[in-house]
Amino acid sequence: MKLHCFQRAFFHSSPSLIPVQLPAPMETHLWYMKPSEVKSESLLKEYLDILSPCERKNVLQMGGEELRKSALLARALVRTTIARYQINSEITPRSLKFRKNIHGKPEVEWQYSDDWHPPSLHFNISHTSSLVACGVTVNSQIGIDVEEKHRSIKHNVLSFARRYFSEHEVQFLAAISDPQVQRMEFIKLWTLKEAYVKALGKGFSGAPFKTFTIRSKSVPEEGFNKLEGSSLKASEIVVDSFDNPTVLTSNWQFLLLELANSHYAAICTEKHGASEGDRNVPVKLTVWKTIPFLEDECVSGTDAVKTICGL
Amino acid sequence: MASFTASSLSFSPVSCSFKQNQASSLRKASLSFSGKGFPSHRLPALRFRVACAAKPDTVNKVVEIVKKQLALPEDREVNGESKFATLGADSLDTVEIVMGLEEEFGIAVEEESAQSITTVQEAADLIEKLLEKKC
Repeated sequence: MKLHCFQRAFFHSSPSLIPVQLPAPMETHLWYMKPSEVKSESLLKEYLDILSPCERKNVLQMGGEELRKSALLARALVRTTIARYQINSEITPRSLKFRKNIHGKPEVEWQYSDDWHPPSLHFNISHTSSLVACGVTVNSQIGIDVEEKHRSIKHNVLSFARRYFSEHEVQFLAAISDPQVQRMEFIKLWTLKEAYVKALGKGFSGAPFKTFTIRSKSVPEEGFNKLEGSSLKASEIVVDSFDNPTVLTSNWQFLLLELANSHYAAICTEKHGASEGDRNVPVKLTVWKTIPFLEDECVSGTDAVKTICGL
Repeated sequence: MASFTASSLSFSPVSCSFKQNQASSLRKASLSFSGKGFPSHRLPALRFRVACAAKPDTVNKVVEIVKKQLALPEDREVNGESKFATLGADSLDTVEIVMGLEEEFGIAVEEESAQSITTVQEAADLIEKLLEKKC
């Protein structure tokens, strides 16, 4: 699969988006923005302009400029991203409609007629105040979560883990003696668990964190770490579910990345066509850093995207 | 609010979103009708307690925990109606807030309940409900 890498392009006239082909099955697209890089008031106005009245209201209700900005960019990112795939000629960032499934997971509400069937496009958003990301797949449920690498939590890591994580995960974290490393492994584990729950789409209570374990398969003691300079494939991340043995947990695959040197990003997608004993079909990932209507940069294979696990 | 005739008592539906100063007086609304002015053979002695909104103390403690978790400035206005999302709480913050509330009040919050808390008032109401169960 050829990577679609675009040169930097600057558009100063009416807003336009560089079109992109839909991801192939087993391919994931990840688009992200850094709010700190969006400074133009007129650009922010353009983003506000493509939101629905309801989204606009929610954005303006946020408490504080920083929160308003990241909320605005999250909606602008998802609308412009989906519109890029040019599903049909009628779709623009503004025309897209969204709804929530019965569990509250957002999805596109396609406006279609009898003779047109929309593709099975799936997306998921995550944002912090410093990074906004949108993952896209076709035919595959997706959940993503991003967190600042240096995020601190108010509680003690192990107290938190004992309250919310599975026993296996607590043991894994407890075995790490360096508190800095322990905190970073905790953040990685959190993003993976969040991504899984978001991929399932049933909400926090649909898959309580205590009822499943996410772990690194090949080198469990090493946790979720890069295999430095190794020719081995990065270790696989797997999930074991206790509550629902019937839930096919082998249906899910994970990717853990370091994004823009500042964030951990976890991506969980559905595997299709995998049967027992099959080798894992590797996930293809393409990542763009974008400022919609202004510039896009394919950053796959650069320093901005460092695979930690799963690819 | 309560309204009564000589032979019957009726309460119209009471809204649950009270501001703090109203909540305390409402909590103390115990009405007894066996006193003067009501023929006691007609009305039984009744005590009503309108237990709808959480105590202001509870709401204040929730506000304190939320402000600490989200590192909000002291002068930032946070009250019962404040939504966690609007204050900038993401999922990790929300989980930490719930954990802080559990520690402060000595309760355990189920995942289903935790997911349904979106405002300070809802958190305070849930806490009171769980505390009542404990007794």
